Amino acid sequence: MKIIDNTVKLVINEDVYSLEAVYGASFVFIDKLYIYLDKTEKGIIVRLKGKEVLSKKELEAIEGEFLNELLNYSLRISLAENNKKIRELIVSQAICSAVGISKGNESGFKYEDDPLGIAIPWEDKYGKNEDDKNKV
Amino acid sequence: MVKMKTIRIKFNKELYGREAIEAAVEDYIGLACFCIDELKYEFGVNLSKIDEEIFDRIEDEFCNYVLAKTINL
Repeated sequence: MKIIDNTVKLVINEDVYSLEAVYGASFVFIDKLYIYLDKTEKGIIVRLKGKEVLSKKELEAIEGEFLNELLNYSLRISLAENNKKIRELIVSQAICSAVGISKGNESGFKYEDDPLGIAIPWEDKYGKNEDDKNKV
Repeated sequence: MVKMKTIRIKFNKELYGREAIEAAVEDYIGLACFCIDELKYEFGVNLSKIDEEIFDRIEDEFCNYVLAKTINL
């Protein structure tokens, strides 16, 4: 870590943290800090500059928070990758179910047909017989 | 009033997208004159005729804006 001119400079190892994780972490801080990215053979250079004048302690804290966020995003990306297939399966099944319902409509069912008998009054469906009606 | 001093900002091609830079220039066009050039590993953006009121901040704000556009595109 290097602190100069209200700026913290970090070097991020690309073998450990992906560019996507750097973007994710950067976006979290973009309203509080000025962020500038560069690249060398050593890795991705991240410069975090305070929008106001910050103390050395505050800049060190920001560096720690940024690294934490980097780790957070790396984990999120890893989990998303691991769960990709099952997520796609769940979404496909949900879409297929929806298509199944709409396919019923396409094959000529109208709500007036009332295939589930929803429009039938309860009394007509389960109504009491004449003897029960006469009982008080 | 405008300041005649020119600022040059470099954006590494592997980290920033040209589309994002162009979109940012469109949004900042009223604050300065922009000229984009492309080198082997980076895009260069020259800012000139910069509004005096925002001169001290424009470089940082513009870089943030380009980064945000890159991430969201």
